[in-house]
Amino acid sequence: MGDAGRTAENLPLREYAAIGDGRCVALVARGGSIDWLTLPDLDSPTVFAALLDVARGGRLSLRPACRFRTERRYLPETNVLETTFFTDGGCLRVTDALTLPEGGGLVPFRELQRRVDGISGTVPMCWRLEPRFGYAGWPCKIERRGGVPVASVGADALGLRLFGAGEAQVEDEAVGGQFEVSGSSSAVLALVYAHQEPLVLPSEDELAARFEATCASWRRWVENRTYDGPWRSAVMRSALALKLLVYAPSGAIAAAATASLPEEIGGARNWDYRFSWIRDSAFTIDAFLLLGCPAEADAYFWWLMHASQLTQPRLQVLYRLDGGTRLRERQLPLAGYRGSRPVNIGNGAAEQLQLDTYGELLQAAWLYARGGNQIDGDIARRLARLADFVCTAWRRADAGIWEVRSEPQQFTQSKMLCAVALDRAVELAEQGVLPSRNVELWRAESGAIRTFVDTHCWSELRQSYGRFAGSDELDASVLLGLLHGYADPSDARIRSTVDAIARVLADGPYVRRYAGDDGLTGEEGAFVACSFWLAEALARTGRVEEATDLMEQLLGLANDVGLYAEELDPASGAFLGNMPQGLSHLALISAAAAIAEVAG
Amino acid sequence: MSVWGALAGGFAGTLVLTTILRTGSELRLTRIDLPFLLGTAFTADRTRAKALGYALHFVVGLAFALLYYAIFVAIEESGWWLGAVFGLVHALFSATALVNILLPLVHPRMGSPLTGANATALLEPPGFLMRNYGARTPLVNILAHVAYGALVGGFTQLAS
Repeated sequence: MGDAGRTAENLPLREYAAIGDGRCVALVARGGSIDWLTLPDLDSPTVFAALLDVARGGRLSLRPACRFRTERRYLPETNVLETTFFTDGGCLRVTDALTLPEGGGLVPFRELQRRVDGISGTVPMCWRLEPRFGYAGWPCKIERRGGVPVASVGADALGLRLFGAGEAQVEDEAVGGQFEVSGSSSAVLALVYAHQEPLVLPSEDELAARFEATCASWRRWVENRTYDGPWRSAVMRSALALKLLVYAPSGAIAAAATASLPEEIGGARNWDYRFSWIRDSAFTIDAFLLLGCPAEADAYFWWLMHASQLTQPRLQVLYRLDGGTRLRERQLPLAGYRGSRPVNIGNGAAEQLQLDTYGELLQAAWLYARGGNQIDGDIARRLARLADFVCTAWRRADAGIWEVRSEPQQFTQSKMLCAVALDRAVELAEQGVLPSRNVELWRAESGAIRTFVDTHCWSELRQSYGRFAGSDELDASVLLGLLHGYADPSDARIRSTVDAIARVLADGPYVRRYAGDDGLTGEEGAFVACSFWLAEALARTGRVEEATDLMEQLLGLANDVGLYAEELDPASGAFLGNMPQGLSHLALISAAAAIAEVAG
Repeated sequence: MSVWGALAGGFAGTLVLTTILRTGSELRLTRIDLPFLLGTAFTADRTRAKALGYALHFVVGLAFALLYYAIFVAIEESGWWLGAVFGLVHALFSATALVNILLPLVHPRMGSPLTGANATALLEPPGFLMRNYGARTPLVNILAHVAYGALVGGFTQLAS
């Protein structure tokens, strides 16, 4: 591609690959610009946010100072990105990594390495660092300290170590430089960050050793995974993408690495996904256990139970990665991705009532226990209180899994997942895991929910469960009733619902979430997770060939490095929404495993 | 002043401190659980961790009582109010440095801001003033430690 590096408008989201270290994630454009980085943590304010404001957001660009095209990949079995630049004068390789705190010695608080290796010919290179702390809202100064360019603001400092990358030219709000790379030469740009401590400035040897150790650590992690089913390459890339979203200090998993990337270009559906949704808990535990990640499953389940302790028996829809419950939504004065405003951070959906979360959490606990893990008495009592709460709350209208901002409704999927919550509580009690005092109540209320769903949520017109009671609109989330065990795959109504969703909401591999009002203006794309859910539902209802065909089509819709955003534009295949999106990758893993299981 | 008084105060103070923290948890003011944090340094089994943690917590409570006693002796003064002031300082130190910074660095199962993707933490770090465990944690923590300090100071004075 002929990328000029700094662009006047946002690049397509497909152009981005993600790198991370378990604390923060950076998005790297094909053309060599790092346009998204939050420091020190995934949910911290940005240092680079060119993704949301090309002019003011900040970035670190590194590219040939001439026309070029690129090819890229992740180094095998790692989250380390390799981009090869081809120019008329020669070619070179740039390898990007947020390094892991591996090996001994003094390790920077955070470290991003960009390593340049010549392959052939001679290529002029240029780089430019534009740090913009605090979503480009905190004024910072850049100065040389001991010859190292350092940008600092408050308790944060960002230094740039350069080896073979030319002389740094320091300006008011940026640092830039130029150098040449030839067949045998190499260079390193290392961005080191400190928070509430002095900057650590590593040597070239230390940088090289940590880079190698980081690659080795990722490879070791992949080698220890046990998944051996079909589409292993895509499943392991999804596993690595999920690992990027695991916030290592707490074990929480973020829904995505970015904020406010639009579900419609120019639209208002721009949300901050750098939090952990209870909605994703069952798929997360299931995926970790499928992949052979017991440590991650333990950490996540412990975090889940710890985070929800303050609000129990009520669940908040989402929690901060540190377990906090305050997620006030506010708008930033940024231009937005391709003019998509408002640019929101925080998430107002946290305050909503979403009854399906109780089903997701108890399903997660059931899967965790089924995986041979112990649930202690305290947690068992809390889970039992959740089930008791469901008995009193399931009749209420809620915002549903899709967090609609229209009037609450009696959403079918919420009711189904309430029944799943009670069914799982009953099973866990029968296994002696949960207190069994209220088992009969749980059983009776589960039956009442099923009666409600069959009486009020079935659409004769569509021959399908509707989106909510009395509605003829369809909703792909109802597929979760099948996937989480609300209904048996042989159930005639659930099979008919799968057919209806495939017929009405799907357009080839693209599946919309729902049809109907959601209280927001504008449209949105097809929801990637729903497409994978449909593939899994087809497999579970015995249509393995159709499921396999859909799966193959969906795998072709990932970007060149195997990542997915939240949504796809059915017309162009363009990515929409935040990325990389955990639920998309979780759904891919679940569908691949389900198809393998059914196909035998 | 008597060391036995300080130890008795340490025992009673730890009892009250633990009760206040536990009550704060039941009232959903905080998720802090000091015995649990201590116990999980030695075992990942939650039940065993809690049992071991309570024993360790009382040992630590007695150790701090001896430290208080040493200061009371050095300044030749003790009492409920002075103990309460010590408790306040103790609470602030524990929330800003002891539990916030030192514990994550030595606890094998607790994450710290330096934990990366090559490690898996089972416990979230407490954060500044331990606010990761709930926004009202600092208040509950201060109340519990002031009560602890007052009891150590008071018992030490009573045993004079």
